[in-house]
Amino acid sequence: MSDRSGQPLALSQLRAGQVATVLGLLESTGLDAGRDASQSLLARLRDLGFVPGARCEVMARMWLGGDPMAVRIGGSTFALRRAEAAAVRVELAVEAGVARESLARAGASAVAA
Amino acid sequence: MDAAVTPLRMALVGVPNCGKTALFNRLTGSRQKVANYPGVTVERREGERATADGRGQRILDLPGTYSLNPTTLDEAITRDVLLGRLADTPAPELVICVVDAVHLPIGLRLALEVKRLGLPMVLALNRMDVARRRGVQIDAARLSAELGVPVVPTVAVKRGGADALIEIMESDRWLVPRSVTAPAGNGVSAQDAEQLQRDLQGLLGAAGYSPPRDNPWFARIDALLLHPFAGLVILLAVLFVMFQAVFSWAEAPMDWIEGAMNSLGEFTAAHMPAGPLASLLVNGVIGGAGSVLVFLPQIIILFFFILALEDSGYLPRAAYLLDRLMGSVGLSGRAFIPLLSSHACAIPGIMATRTIPNWRDRLTTIMIAPLMTCSARLPVYGLLIAALIPARAIGPFNLQGLVLFALYSAGIVSGLLVAFVMKHFSKSRQYSPLMLELPDFQWPNAANLVLGLWERVKIFLSRVGGIILALMIVLWFLSSYPAPPPDATGPAIQYSLAGKLGALLQHVFAPIGFNWQISIALVPGLAAREVAVGALGTVYALSAAGDDVSGQLQPLIASSWSLATGCSLLVWYIFAPQCLSTLAVVKRETNSWRYPLIMAGYLFALAYIAAFVTYRVMR
Repeated sequence: MSDRSGQPLALSQLRAGQVATVLGLLESTGLDAGRDASQSLLARLRDLGFVPGARCEVMARMWLGGDPMAVRIGGSTFALRRAEAAAVRVELAVEAGVARESLARAGASAVAA
Repeated sequence: MDAAVTPLRMALVGVPNCGKTALFNRLTGSRQKVANYPGVTVERREGERATADGRGQRILDLPGTYSLNPTTLDEAITRDVLLGRLADTPAPELVICVVDAVHLPIGLRLALEVKRLGLPMVLALNRMDVARRRGVQIDAARLSAELGVPVVPTVAVKRGGADALIEIMESDRWLVPRSVTAPAGNGVSAQDAEQLQRDLQGLLGAAGYSPPRDNPWFARIDALLLHPFAGLVILLAVLFVMFQAVFSWAEAPMDWIEGAMNSLGEFTAAHMPAGPLASLLVNGVIGGAGSVLVFLPQIIILFFFILALEDSGYLPRAAYLLDRLMGSVGLSGRAFIPLLSSHACAIPGIMATRTIPNWRDRLTTIMIAPLMTCSARLPVYGLLIAALIPARAIGPFNLQGLVLFALYSAGIVSGLLVAFVMKHFSKSRQYSPLMLELPDFQWPNAANLVLGLWERVKIFLSRVGGIILALMIVLWFLSSYPAPPPDATGPAIQYSLAGKLGALLQHVFAPIGFNWQISIALVPGLAAREVAVGALGTVYALSAAGDDVSGQLQPLIASSWSLATGCSLLVWYIFAPQCLSTLAVVKRETNSWRYPLIMAGYLFALAYIAAFVTYRVMR
């Protein structure tokens, strides 16, 4: 959602198999949820390890808009809804798609956002 | 306070899935469920352990949380206990912070946050065996020096795996008096959080931490299980196999139990003088409670599957696959685990809704939990299906298993429809997050599984021997007295109190096809669903006019009920809220009478309407 120039991207824009580096979180989630709910959601993302410099990888996405998605970060995997992933700003890592070919192939049928 | 006699208060803190509950069991020897999905610890669990000095230690197992900035009721409880904010639970004198060594960063972050509270603390590096195998490097001594608290490796699932921790707990090495510096306010600011992350990175660096090698198999299995199409097919197949197995695997052991019950009934009838006592034993106890006991094998098989799926880490993945579907009816993906637990029993299911952050979501989940087919319905379904549905093979499937699958599906579909309707009645459109951890796969622990099954067997047997037996004896009296007049023509039970009550209730139940025997059985069946099976056993045994008292219930039903009546009763059981304990738990969890009353009202209404339609259509 913060994507205007193509870089940086929102985590929700990545395809299954893509690897990225976290740049930071948005100030607010743009969700139709009160300010408090929005802030606690951001705080939780931070607690789960979505902090600047962290490396993350999209493991899988469901069909029709890829919602929800499974994201691996810090050695753990989390299921995130697209709206949650949209609050994480990332930059694609160069190794994208090389690290796990089999996974990328499996995820190719998942529809990209 | 007298320090010499009060046991020392300790609390276990950690992120979900770190092995905290297993460590709790190891320390206290308490027997409880250990599972592998986030949010299993929803109840307050406390255990005591004896110490050499005789003072003892009281250990509290706090709900798992990722941070002290809570998003759910569970997590708020953990924070409040640590801050000493709960009236009945003073702050612990020692915090045992449990960190999964395989997933060190996320656990250590919480440990840093807990340490800031200034409580005496010990850090347990759990699952050290797995971590070493996967190439994790941690310098525990450096970590301890940097953190300023003792750090001990533990392997909670192994005998003796907590010995080093126990040694520290019993020493006075941690007994450094410190001042508690609780943070002001509830939340942590973004600056605080970023500082915490910097501290964490520094700490990991100092301890020479190197992350685990990713197990390539996990990624491969996940690519399949989380695949949008293949994943859903596998999920359906898993559920389908589970329900087929409940029928086909249980067949032989159920025949044995039934045979044993019949022989016991015949033996008792043959070796006792005929009279009220013999009738009470044969018809009330053996015919009534015994007919419920027959379903033990099916319940064991169902729980075997549920426990194994829990332990393996599959359940949160199923929640992931179904999140979209759940979201479309206004439920959170997090509702999946409470709803799946409700297939065992609605009570733990309703308690597990505490892990759902949003109150409206939580309420919706609570309201539909009783629609999930709990194991108490199995005896009823099992009896009726075996009596009325032929055991024909349809392709590779058994028709009886298919019908059972259909009944389970009907419960799920109607739950989703009710949630959908509730969504449209609710004005609040608050977003509810998913953010669910998908833990590493593991083979279900055999000891864990056996322990879990044994607990279910104990619960079932104590219900059969307790409430069910008691209700059966009461029902026997009501069905036997007053005795029929000498010139009676029909079966004796028709002249008894229960018979008269059944005749009265028939005015209500005749439109949906229930005969007077069913009407009587439903009265004690209000307390708990499976009681109705025992009650039918007693009622039919007593109406069999003496000749075939220990006769089996199933052929009796097969010969005397129409298919429409049987199906109507099956449909009634999909909806009817015949479980007082569930309603009591809903009252407790929602803290008002309003919701249990609404629940009972809407479920009875649905049950009556659906049974009415079924009966009219099939007749």
